[in-house]
Amino acid sequence: MKNGRVDAIVIGAGHNGLICAAYLARAGKKVLVLERRHLVGGAAVTEEIVPGFKFSEFSYVVSLLRPEIIRELDLPGHGLQILPLESTVTPMPDGNYLAAWGDHDETRRELYRHSPLDADAYDEFGILMHHMAHAVKPIIGMMPPDPTSLSPKELLSLGKLGGHMRSLGARKFYALHKLMTMSSADYLDEWFETDVLKATKSASGIIGTFMGPRSPGSAYVLLHHYMGEIDGAFRAWGFQKGGTGGVSDAIAGAARRFGAEIKLEAPVGRVMVKNGRASGVALENGDEYHADIVVSGLDPKRTFLKLVEERELPGDFVASIKRFKTRGSSGKVNLALSELPRLTCMQPENIARWGGVPIPPERYLRGAISISPTMDYVERAYDDAKHGSFSKRPYMDVVIPSMIDPGMAPPGQHVMSIFCQYAPFAIEGGWDDAKREAFGDAVIDALAVHAPNIKSAIIARQVLTPADIERITGLTEGNIFQGELALDQLFFLRPAPGYAKYRTPVDGFYQCGSGTHPGGGIMGASGRLAALTILGERT
Amino acid sequence: MTYDVIVIGGGLAGLTSAALLAKAGRRVLVLEQRDVLGGLHSTDEIAPGVRGDAAAHDIGWIPSSVMKTLGLDERALALVRPDPSAVSLLPGGSTLTLWTDPARTASELQRHSPSDARAWRGFGERVARLAGFLQAIYEGPAPEPLASGATELLSMLGLGRKVRSLGSDGIIDLLRTLPMSVADVLDETFEHPALKGLVAASGVARLVQGPRSGATAFLLVHHHVGAPPGAIGSRLIARGGLGALAHALAESARAAGAEIRTGSAVTQIVVSEDGVKGVVLAGGDEITASTLLSTLDPRRTLLDLIDPIYIDPELSQAVGAVKYRGACAKVNLVLDGLPALSEELLRGALVVAPDMGYLERAFDAAKYGAISDRPYLEARIPTLHDASLAPTGRHVMSVLVQWVPYRLRDASWDGTRREALGDLVVDTLGDVLPGFRERVIAGQVLTPRDIEDRYGATEGSLTHGELTLDQVLFMRPVPGLSRHATPTPGLYLAGPGTHPGSSIASAARAAAVMGASKRRPFSRPRGDRAPLTR
Repeated sequence: MKNGRVDAIVIGAGHNGLICAAYLARAGKKVLVLERRHLVGGAAVTEEIVPGFKFSEFSYVVSLLRPEIIRELDLPGHGLQILPLESTVTPMPDGNYLAAWGDHDETRRELYRHSPLDADAYDEFGILMHHMAHAVKPIIGMMPPDPTSLSPKELLSLGKLGGHMRSLGARKFYALHKLMTMSSADYLDEWFETDVLKATKSASGIIGTFMGPRSPGSAYVLLHHYMGEIDGAFRAWGFQKGGTGGVSDAIAGAARRFGAEIKLEAPVGRVMVKNGRASGVALENGDEYHADIVVSGLDPKRTFLKLVEERELPGDFVASIKRFKTRGSSGKVNLALSELPRLTCMQPENIARWGGVPIPPERYLRGAISISPTMDYVERAYDDAKHGSFSKRPYMDVVIPSMIDPGMAPPGQHVMSIFCQYAPFAIEGGWDDAKREAFGDAVIDALAVHAPNIKSAIIARQVLTPADIERITGLTEGNIFQGELALDQLFFLRPAPGYAKYRTPVDGFYQCGSGTHPGGGIMGASGRLAALTILGERT
Repeated sequence: MTYDVIVIGGGLAGLTSAALLAKAGRRVLVLEQRDVLGGLHSTDEIAPGVRGDAAAHDIGWIPSSVMKTLGLDERALALVRPDPSAVSLLPGGSTLTLWTDPARTASELQRHSPSDARAWRGFGERVARLAGFLQAIYEGPAPEPLASGATELLSMLGLGRKVRSLGSDGIIDLLRTLPMSVADVLDETFEHPALKGLVAASGVARLVQGPRSGATAFLLVHHHVGAPPGAIGSRLIARGGLGALAHALAESARAAGAEIRTGSAVTQIVVSEDGVKGVVLAGGDEITASTLLSTLDPRRTLLDLIDPIYIDPELSQAVGAVKYRGACAKVNLVLDGLPALSEELLRGALVVAPDMGYLERAFDAAKYGAISDRPYLEARIPTLHDASLAPTGRHVMSVLVQWVPYRLRDASWDGTRREALGDLVVDTLGDVLPGFRERVIAGQVLTPRDIEDRYGATEGSLTHGELTLDQVLFMRPVPGLSRHATPTPGLYLAGPGTHPGSSIASAARAAAVMGASKRRPFSRPRGDRAPLTR
């Protein structure tokens, strides 16, 4: 099809774009998805960067994907298969370690070794966070009401929100208020005394943000990451079999099955607007496609500042989009390994020394290794970034997907995915090859402190700075959430006041990326809510 | 003599509430542990023959309703609003000045950045609009989102009306701005580093957070409640030191019949199952009263002075979790002359915060329990507003040094460290203020720990607890206590540790709850307590 006409065009085959397309196609629309790259997925892709080694290049774990989407699109039928990621091991500076397991009692026993008080608090904390996640869940699934509107519908929606909040009861309401406004460090200080436990937990409060664990607002991100669900089980994280790209492939499969067409290597140059209405898109090569509905899954800055001519948009809207914060703060290092890392702290004689229970590597290496030895370590990593350089000693979330899915690497060999923070997009002097390699070296050095054999085990490495993430995926400034998850950029403010309901100032032009409510992670809620809006099922 | 109400603490909050309650016909006794009134806002002798503001050296807001009720005006309260508001002392001896008149500031900014000069008026209006809204909330009881009943509903609706009066752009701006970092707000608005540094200072003053931390924009707005529109960085001082303000309030309280005793430290609040019985003084004397208003910080009141068996464990846990975190040390210096800067500029707050990165780095050190060797300073020379504070030719300079940890990580506070801190302040000012070093002839250093020891403020917090979004409105001091009443019948709280985070305004709120207000019925949620955290 060239210069054709369809009912709806979706720009970008990221997971949200694909989900939106699938829902539109399911409702009988003729849908065309246009993707710039040679594969679907956006930041959720699997690529064989080194022959024989499959990297979940960017996004590497799944937990937030909405269960209703999995159900409604029958994603398991299209290949979605999440393998649970159950444990986390954090090496400590003194040679000790902290482990968290899938089994609650086992985690409790391990915590008891560090602090009996914390072991007790852990139960209560888990229950509270579970309640908090449930308290926020309806908000995630709802269209953000417009607090400035006096229309009965908006007031009703606001009233419902208020009613929901009040129905939580005092204890949960105040706890939620604290979560929304505190720093993750302070929040965790109220619960625990073990520094390494707080450091490891607080790390999930900084992922993808440009905040340190001591900055107010980070506790909310903690909660955001608590909302993961797999088959209804809260807080579980997992790998997609075959790498994260498999999630995108499953959604693409569902979309195709409902009749959507996905065109690869078809970069959109601009959205065509006639008399204030979207009429289609023009590719960079000049090909035109026409449709009354155009949806962008790209981030708000790319969508409104690059694809649409400024004169088609109100000035204050453009100003809002320009100041929308998309500061990329994280990088990724992917390794092909000839052997598994040997964590010094997990060697049997060391475990015995600290009074722990010996654990075989086949077990703990199936989970995550968190390089977050102390709260100060994580905070100092942020200090480097806010003053304009990458962290000399970054926080890292390390996983070895080939331990869970051996098909990811040749027999006996492994792939390792290292999410590292902070690597600011706006590094002083800008990113170049030398800085990228220096950053890669810093990451490896910081890991080698705890796994000395890592350097000799590396067959190949791929270092991705935020500038690389932007270049490859198109995410502005390499921000993995298409815009920071800060209180001033959530709910009815995401991405701009008055346009938080997937509509845009241009009639017929919609947005469905994670730059809209409820935000990032492979959650898919934005894509689904956008489709329902377009179909008139939600207003 | 029996009393209707005993007020613990002779600081601004205690004296204000005493005056208001006495005016309403109550027999009031104020008990102050020190020999001098004013608490954190007292004026003490800092060297022989020289007096100065001991801890805090300025205040933000005095509700006009309080002045009206007490029949006092700014003049009677010895208040001065210095102009310029703030002067940034920059490397190389140059300055950037904020005047109370935004037009004058804009023309000053012209030589630094024409685009910032253009943006100045709009920024001032924006801050004033947001501060006006906070003020509207602060003048009433803390909004309680969970409370029920017609009174609450009406008051929430009233609040909703106030919000709506901002207009839809105003609502968005309010909800968007308050949780932001002051750095983000300023980066959106201005370009000149020195201007951003100076304004950002107002968003982090007395707080252990840097300008890039979330919700520091809230604190910027909070600090402008009561300030004239466009007067960014403007605060009030008192002629003769803040102690003069305390004395004016004390006089007003006495005139209304209140009794004030200094040198009377309360060591225990006597409580029984039915409620408050009275207090025990340091000498062992017991004074009975069935109503007690404590203006000490909530931790001192609820955890130190009351037998724990009378405090619900969950409440005591919540109070124990309040973040105090004194941010500042105070260095008072005696000068034998003025530094080489125009006297007009020296009348404002002299600020060392040359850019936001400087502030951020100064804050960084405190996170790890250390003091930056490039600290953020805010200095005032009160003798320029009242020469009688020092012998002729001498001046007093009061310097708040931020961020100075209450607990040093690798050391404890001792004479050597105090002295080093004093030297650091003199050196830092000497670098940016020509002819300053030679003028210093004596000094006094008060660390946050000293401030705690002397004035009783937990961790030396000048605000009785940090002003962050999780500790304001219905969360201040803890959920359920924001309306000044406590679960102990007869015991009330006031002071900056309670809503709305300002001494005098909190006293007015507490006095209203205790029946000093004649207004009724909706603005007086008497005995209408929000649910506790359980």
